[in-house]
Amino acid sequence: MSTPVVLKSNRYGINLILDSEMGFDELLGCIAKRFQESAGFFKDARLAVSFEGRELTQEEEFRIVEAITDNSSIEVICILDNDILREEMIRQKIEQFEEEQSGRTGEFYKGTLRSGQVLDCESSIVILGDINPGAKIISKGNIVVLGALKGNAYAGASGNCQAFVAALEMDPIQIRIGDIIGRSADRTASDRTLLGKKRGKKKQEAAEPQVAIVKDGNIYIEPITKGLLNSI
Amino acid sequence: MSEVIVITSGKGGVGKTTTTANVGTGLAQLDKKVVLIDTDIGLRNLDVVMGLENRIVYNLVDVVEGNCRMKQALIKDKRYPNLSLLPSAQTRDKSAVSPGQMVKLIDSLREDFDYILLDCPAGIEQGFKNAIAGADRALVVTTPEVSAIRDADRIIGLLGANEVRQTDLIVNRLRMDMVKRGDMMNINDVTDILAINLIGAIPDDEQIVISTNQGEPLVGTDCLAGKAFANICHRILGENVPLLDLEIKSNLWGKFKDIFKKN
Repeated sequence: MSTPVVLKSNRYGINLILDSEMGFDELLGCIAKRFQESAGFFKDARLAVSFEGRELTQEEEFRIVEAITDNSSIEVICILDNDILREEMIRQKIEQFEEEQSGRTGEFYKGTLRSGQVLDCESSIVILGDINPGAKIISKGNIVVLGALKGNAYAGASGNCQAFVAALEMDPIQIRIGDIIGRSADRTASDRTLLGKKRGKKKQEAAEPQVAIVKDGNIYIEPITKGLLNSI
Repeated sequence: MSEVIVITSGKGGVGKTTTTANVGTGLAQLDKKVVLIDTDIGLRNLDVVMGLENRIVYNLVDVVEGNCRMKQALIKDKRYPNLSLLPSAQTRDKSAVSPGQMVKLIDSLREDFDYILLDCPAGIEQGFKNAIAGADRALVVTTPEVSAIRDADRIIGLLGANEVRQTDLIVNRLRMDMVKRGDMMNINDVTDILAINLIGAIPDDEQIVISTNQGEPLVGTDCLAGKAFANICHRILGENVPLLDLEIKSNLWGKFKDIFKKN
């Protein structure tokens, strides 16, 4: 075999195809070298690793993982067997892990999202600015807008209905949480002077911070209160 | 058999979207099954003018790319159940769709609708080519201004070259007081230059601005513009409706002026 270690990517991470004849320690050296070379490519990716081409003991597997993490900034989440049932289980584990991560960690974005702009994040997001009509904010976790939400927001984009959307000024066109969609009320003919009226109203009572959550399969928008925050 | 009508103008801001919304609603009022397609990818606003923005989940690009079925993307109007809207995408640009894909998309709608109205973007580039690709017929919107007429003339030429079989003219935003004073071209001046069939003239009306902001087309209401749009719908169906009398009573001085103008 010309190359003792071949890297192949799959859906969840990488598959290492190993030389079956080489001595283990020599092979370990090759693996270390291989990952050193490609550390720049993987950066700090989170991967699942699987092995092929060689029977490995548990200890050997751990040593290989160690070699990988020592020589690159890859975070190995787990070791996969080449087995479909397990793969499915592991997929769920990884997704669960990601979902937990997305709820717990967050990013910041400073600036206003204008019509046609889309901000898509893996984790929760805090926006210091407005979401204008026609703009869209998508997050696998929660969304907090320190400004006016006047466009579309999609929280819990991986299907998490526990996510929430909070905004200082809540005036969205559409809010989606998990797979539930809520749209704004239609303007009726009775608010003829809609522009003037709305502005007038806002001057009287300062816009109140509100949060959108899912309750019984519907999206509710409510003022932020201590009791509500505790229930989220 | 359904008819595919593209509403176009060349120049921006002359009233394509407003015309699409009102003609579409007007045809629906006449019990026709109508679908409006916003082909202005990246700068959509037909949904806003129709007041249906909050219902958008999927759009034209999603249909073309196969992300959803046509049925999922079509939005039913809140007033007329026989009127639907296929909104355009806001986050993409014109190159997301090709003329061939538009033709296919339109053909898939022909079975279910009597009229398919295409709201064309301004310009003569890809967006325009997409919009006219599947059209049987065109409504060219212009205002009585030289710049708009120049662009309309170019558009009419391009429509002819692309074998759109019928092209009609809508003169929008006429101000009869200015026409009277001789400060604005009248309908005849416009049709003289463009030499195509005039299917309607719409007076400048502040009600239009109000209805657009409100997301409720005004066709069928009592104001002049509403009547003018309703008449256009009847003419599209092939009925013979006389042009609205937009004239303000002229005085003697005005008549004098007219005479001198003509000479």
